[in-house]
Amino acid sequence: MVRAAAVLGHDWLSWSTRYLTDYRIQGNSMPVPDLFLQGVARGWQVIDAASLATDTTLEADVIIIGTGAGGGTSAEILAQRGLKVLLVEEGSLKTSGDFKNNEAQAYAELYQEGAARGTADGGIGILQGRTVGGTTTVNWTSSFRTPDPTLAHWASEHDVKGLDSESMAPWFAQMEERLGVAPWAVPPNANNDVIRQGCEKLDYHWKIIPRNVRGCWNLGYCGSGCPTNAKQSMLVTTIPAALEQGATLVHSARAETLVFEGDRVSEVRCRGMNPTLTAATGSTLRLRGKHVVLAGGAINSPALLLRSKAPDPHARLGKRTFLHPVNMTLGLFDRDINGFYGAPQSVYSDHFQWDQGTTGPMGYKMEVPPMQPSLMSVMMGGLGQESLQRMNGLAQSNLMLALLRDGFHEQSQGGSVALRDNGDPVLDYPLNDYLWDGVRRAYLSMGEIQFAAGAKSVVPTHAHGRESHSWADFQRQVAELSYRIHDVRLASAHVMGGCAMGEDPTRAVTDSRGRHHQLENLSVLDGSLFPTSIGANPQLSVYGLVAKLATGLAAELS
Amino acid sequence: MDSNLNPQLGRRDLLKLGLGASLALSTVGLTASLTGCTSERAAPEFQVLRASDLPLLSALYPVILGPHPALTQHPDAIAQALAQLDYSLAHTSPFVQKAVLDLFGLLSMPLTRGPLTGIWGDMSKASPEQLNTFLLRWRDSRFEMLRQGYNTLSKLLMMSWYALPLSWATTGYPGPPVI
Repeated sequence: MVRAAAVLGHDWLSWSTRYLTDYRIQGNSMPVPDLFLQGVARGWQVIDAASLATDTTLEADVIIIGTGAGGGTSAEILAQRGLKVLLVEEGSLKTSGDFKNNEAQAYAELYQEGAARGTADGGIGILQGRTVGGTTTVNWTSSFRTPDPTLAHWASEHDVKGLDSESMAPWFAQMEERLGVAPWAVPPNANNDVIRQGCEKLDYHWKIIPRNVRGCWNLGYCGSGCPTNAKQSMLVTTIPAALEQGATLVHSARAETLVFEGDRVSEVRCRGMNPTLTAATGSTLRLRGKHVVLAGGAINSPALLLRSKAPDPHARLGKRTFLHPVNMTLGLFDRDINGFYGAPQSVYSDHFQWDQGTTGPMGYKMEVPPMQPSLMSVMMGGLGQESLQRMNGLAQSNLMLALLRDGFHEQSQGGSVALRDNGDPVLDYPLNDYLWDGVRRAYLSMGEIQFAAGAKSVVPTHAHGRESHSWADFQRQVAELSYRIHDVRLASAHVMGGCAMGEDPTRAVTDSRGRHHQLENLSVLDGSLFPTSIGANPQLSVYGLVAKLATGLAAELS
Repeated sequence: MDSNLNPQLGRRDLLKLGLGASLALSTVGLTASLTGCTSERAAPEFQVLRASDLPLLSALYPVILGPHPALTQHPDAIAQALAQLDYSLAHTSPFVQKAVLDLFGLLSMPLTRGPLTGIWGDMSKASPEQLNTFLLRWRDSRFEMLRQGYNTLSKLLMMSWYALPLSWATTGYPGPPVI
């Protein structure tokens, strides 16, 4: 405790002591208990497919492919209904004892393609999880209900039934309770406070972010896996609950194809992964169940269906995949920001999210990321001396990001998933003028907020980005930037869509209950269901939607 | 630099972090999974990077990073960065590995290097000015492939370098908390 306080500053100590409820910290030598491994030791059925020597067949009532937000949520609900559940996860099992707050290790072990996933033309870098718990194990804990305008848009434009705000409210409430979601009550770190300060000055909307944490230590390393089990990811909540109920978890196994008999899935054919998780070269596993829940997430779920040559009579599979493309601005202050420490996301602004309507020019939500150096070096950009100068200012810098709300306008159709020669998925997401217009306006909004908060200079994350020392000069710079691929630095941490839900089979892959339109015993229960992007960090949208749909499925199956 | 952040997490702790990482790298026994992707095998002690990639990358690090003090303070700084880069590449997908090795190959083969970069001799013999000029040419090229190539080089080298504890002191980052 004392050592941590010395690292993080006295202020952290004084208000963190009021919020640490679940763990008694008795000096540096007491390790945090690894709750998951304790469960395994008590007898949970967990199989490492990478170490299976021979081909194996396993049976269950329900096979759940993927252990992320959708897979975990459905596993708990189905298992609690008395169904025998088998979860299969492509990633490996990493638990709190493995999480060392080490960026490079986390990117290599916990992220899709070692954190090097990107769109086909390289225009957008994609951060997505690949580990037990999926992206929930590595996300930054922000938890928002699906915005009302988004739900209304799905109903009116995408033929989605029964998912209006009133119907969804109890399910969001259930999952908020389940996962400890509450507005972050600890003072925001200085990095987040830039949004608050700037927005206050400009009379822009800002609010505290709700987070799915219990007993959070306010460290800021959510992105490399929570080392204290405070983050209420699927890894420490729903999956343990399902395992307690007798579910089986198979990890380090890629679901390669679904085998069909008529209009039913008869088998999920999987293969064990190699040690670096780059290829499925191990033994074969055949998983048989009465019902299959596909929860591999966007990109991966459509890819599995494509590899399986699943029925797709209207060519909807993989289409309308959305990313909340992110652009950023870097502000330099003459005070310490230390954005690498403290809860990573605690303040947001929706001032420009809906102000031009649901289907007008692209809206965006503004937040900040955690600022650990490896990822930051890429975001800060610059070449040579320019890069070094920016990195030397890391501790006095604030990086702001804008999540652009794609999928609501007819010029925002998103991307489509295809397969590479070896069956790996690839997302082709074209960049167009509608997006560039949003990028330009987001640069302006973020820079304005940073200057209002006292930034001495602001750089847009762009190949030609330079330090502007005044708001006026920044506006000039943004107007003159080249809006083209590879010049504008874009990232994504939210992948959505590709197996869109909706009552019209000519436009959707599943119905409003997540039931595949052509396959009898297949449900898609993950973020690939979304017909558009969400307009907010998507995890709670997946939890709420899947809680509702899985509950319906559980009633039907039991 | 805020003195509240001055390590308790001392230099010894940061070194321990780095040492642990390099131990992990040298004991992980990975088999090369790049069947048919490249005719040249990985260099000794590496999983992905080939002997022909190493002089090229060693020449590029100082140009891309700028005059980072750790480059002169630590004689093995670039060796550590290369090991870190190799570890990261070993965990990416076959597609990314191939794309990266193809890019490095373009830069180390004389026939392609000259026309693409304006550097006709070995990269390791090019001056920092020549290397800087070629990088800027790629960054600002009207060809998307070259702009993407610049971004890839910049991203790979920066991420691997700033993953190393020896790179942090100048940034004001004391390192991660040790739980």
